[in-house]
Amino acid sequence: MACFLRQRPWMETMPILKVEHLSKIFKDVKALDDVSFEFDHGIISFLGPSGCGKTTLLRSIAGLEVPDAGSISIADKVQTSIEDGILVPPYSREIGFVFQNYALWPHMTVFKNVAFGLKLRKKSDDEIKRKVMAALDLVGLQGRDQRYPSQLSGGQQQRVALARSLALEPRLILLDEPLSNLDAKLREEMRVELKKLIKKVGISALYVTHDQDEAFTISDAVVVMDGGKILQYGTPDEIYNRPLHPFVAGFVGHSMLFDGRVVRSDSDGCLVNVPDFNGADLISPAAPAVVGDACKVVIRTTELKLSHERFAEGVDNVLEGMMTGREYRGGLTDHRVQIGAKELIVTSHKLCPMIRINGDDGKTFVSIDRSAITVIVTH
Amino acid sequence: MRQGTLVPLVASAIAGAAIITPVLVVMWRSFTTGKLGFTVGLNLTNYLRVFTDRDLVPMLSNSVIYAGGAALLGTGLGASLAWIVARTNTPGKGLVELMPLYPILMPPIMKNIAWILLLAPRSGILNGMLQQFLGIDTLVFNAFSMAGMIWVFGLACVPLGYLFLLPVFLSFDPSLEESAYIAGSKPVRTMFKITFPLALPAFTSALVLNFLRGLRSFETPVLQGTPGNIKVFVSRVYDSMALEFNTGLATAYSVVLVVMSIITLYFYIRATRFSERYATITGKGYRVKVIDIGPWKYLTFAAVLLYFLVGIVIPFIVLIVVSMIPYFDYDTFMRFPFNAVLTNYYTVLRHPSFMTGLYNSLILSVTIAIVTVLTGIVMAFTIYRTRAAGTKVFEFIGTLPLAFPPLVLSVGLLIIFIGTPLYNSLWALGLGLFVAYFPYAFRNASGAIVNIHKELDEAAWVHGARWRHVFFKITLPILKPSVGGALFYIFIEAIRNVDVAVLLTSPGKEYGPVTLFEYFRVGQWAEAAAGGVIYLIILIVAVSVAKFAFKMKFSL
Repeated sequence: MACFLRQRPWMETMPILKVEHLSKIFKDVKALDDVSFEFDHGIISFLGPSGCGKTTLLRSIAGLEVPDAGSISIADKVQTSIEDGILVPPYSREIGFVFQNYALWPHMTVFKNVAFGLKLRKKSDDEIKRKVMAALDLVGLQGRDQRYPSQLSGGQQQRVALARSLALEPRLILLDEPLSNLDAKLREEMRVELKKLIKKVGISALYVTHDQDEAFTISDAVVVMDGGKILQYGTPDEIYNRPLHPFVAGFVGHSMLFDGRVVRSDSDGCLVNVPDFNGADLISPAAPAVVGDACKVVIRTTELKLSHERFAEGVDNVLEGMMTGREYRGGLTDHRVQIGAKELIVTSHKLCPMIRINGDDGKTFVSIDRSAITVIVTH
Repeated sequence: MRQGTLVPLVASAIAGAAIITPVLVVMWRSFTTGKLGFTVGLNLTNYLRVFTDRDLVPMLSNSVIYAGGAALLGTGLGASLAWIVARTNTPGKGLVELMPLYPILMPPIMKNIAWILLLAPRSGILNGMLQQFLGIDTLVFNAFSMAGMIWVFGLACVPLGYLFLLPVFLSFDPSLEESAYIAGSKPVRTMFKITFPLALPAFTSALVLNFLRGLRSFETPVLQGTPGNIKVFVSRVYDSMALEFNTGLATAYSVVLVVMSIITLYFYIRATRFSERYATITGKGYRVKVIDIGPWKYLTFAAVLLYFLVGIVIPFIVLIVVSMIPYFDYDTFMRFPFNAVLTNYYTVLRHPSFMTGLYNSLILSVTIAIVTVLTGIVMAFTIYRTRAAGTKVFEFIGTLPLAFPPLVLSVGLLIIFIGTPLYNSLWALGLGLFVAYFPYAFRNASGAIVNIHKELDEAAWVHGARWRHVFFKITLPILKPSVGGALFYIFIEAIRNVDVAVLLTSPGKEYGPVTLFEYFRVGQWAEAAAGGVIYLIILIVAVSVAKFAFKMKFSL
């Protein structure tokens, strides 16, 4: 196993991956639209709905897809550069790739699957055996090396696919929705395990998923994509709590978006008027906004307080509405509160005091703490 | 990746050139006049002759009646048998379950020979029996009539109808019928309103494909049609090539035939597309309900038994008996087994033209099977697995020979090779077989490669494989089962081929089935039968080897 823990001196000094102005158009769909980013090391996730271009990006990095424009460098070595006519074939990029459907070769045993790349690199039989066994050991598949892929469960096949890439000791491993074919419970287990494993081996990983929980759990940095563009690149916390783009706010977390206009903006905070809430003014954290700016008001529905009695003075943003429905979801409950023209969904925790629906003619009060609001200026 | 595609690309281009050249030559030659080896100017003389041919209209109608009649008879019979086997409690239906094996064992030319022996107007066995036992002096049966042609080729169409319809009846979602029952429909009504309409697309596909086979068929028109003066396009092409040596005329008739084939092929593609829309009958794992048809089962049993005897057993028996009598006529035939001799086998096996023919057909069909299947895989790989631009053109080229009756392809090859050292060599013959069977290998490989998940290849790419590693270590091993099937099929088809080989053989370069064809044409019927039985034995050995050594399955 020692071979996986080798020190990589360049790791801290140069970006493992650098993508510049990558574009790719399929027929009339822009799969990649001038995508640029750098990534030092660790685990980075690309998050977005299907068709947002994340898989195309991954395949371009692997060399399986030829972009229309732009360049890709891995560890400071140019791999793809359309402008300079450089296109390193996938077999020379020295990366790992875990496919969504695992892509295990059905006619080879687990051992042969993992040994495939090593054999092509003309390693000695001894070394191949040692490395294959070490890789299988690492993913917890000791003793299964003579099985065929069809004799393994989905989770085990997933591990073989991972071992096949790790055995080659790549500097970068690309994972294309690797957990999406597993059932929910196994997926949560594998998520944690995958992260531990990648950290243990000490390589960098680029992870593509449409599942935000997965992206947040597994990665050091998250990139949200839509329509072939990178909308936001940040830590999971930044993405969740400080979305910079309405799409990010809507896609990530449990949020609702409302149209607003900035009324006041200073270092204490930002006051926005929301016409949908009977023209109520909401106070929110300071934002780079100028009075008069049109904006989106993002409200995280899990961070609201609900009461059938008026809140005490000094509580942020109290709105008055009518409870119109309630959906019990196990640990959480969605309360539907009609405020002005809009229905606000308040998700409350199991431990939250229950609200009477019909108290005081169905009147309900909602308090939105300013920390639950993000204001995104739109132009 | 781009530079790695060079080798498969070049290989595909060579194969593509080999395929398209005879096709182009036929086209070009149809616009020139002059006998074999000479060319006189570009003109429309041939077409003028074709379109002023007094026989043109009868020939068109003969072709359509013959191919259509045989297709209707064969497909209808095959579909009925499939329904009886899949859905009824008819006793003894196991007799029909050998159906997939039957066309493998019985080469088309043997079928024609057996039925001519049975149905020939004067010397035929059946007319003789009518006269001897019932005192009927009129010649009821005539192999050399349109009815005789339709009957013989129709029987050859039965297995395809059966094979197309059986999976439909077997994989039928029973809930479709059950919901009709619940809606108040009785079983018979349900059959006609639900079951048969849903089987109609598959039936149409089989019908059109059988029609196409009829248009392309060689043995029946030449052996039965020509003696009875019933002309169709294939026999006309053959006559103008083999008797008149008029390449211009032969190629012009060929072009008419090709146009008819292309029109049919178009309808076939439409029919199969239509049948794919009937998604309800593609599901797997249903247990279809066998219907108790009451006393009708004795009628269906009689039908099954009759087909088994007439369609399968009797031709075999006739061939074997005739191969063992001194010479063929009705009285000699009826004296069997008291006059049984092996002289025919002795004659045939000592005849150099038969022995070289046998040897050539064995060597060539094995070689051609291997070469065709491998090339087919490489071409399919080039199209679906490399990213070189314009590879789609190979898809067209690879399928093109389907539109060209084998006889037409050999006309083209003969024109190409005449006057070159390759004329009168096995190379010409081999190339002809390669072109004729390439579409089967190619389509088989395409279907299989498309079904291999692309990620399996890509996983190899990113783990360090070049195209040759992907091809030899991933694609080829995964394709192994379908490669085996295609090898076997092309071997079986090639070893008994008459229509490609007939124009390309020459003294010293015989081809076994063509030698039998010639025996039969000059009236050595007993020798032809003996040679046929020898081929039968070879085919039985091949099937047994495939079944037991390679575990190939011959049933559905």
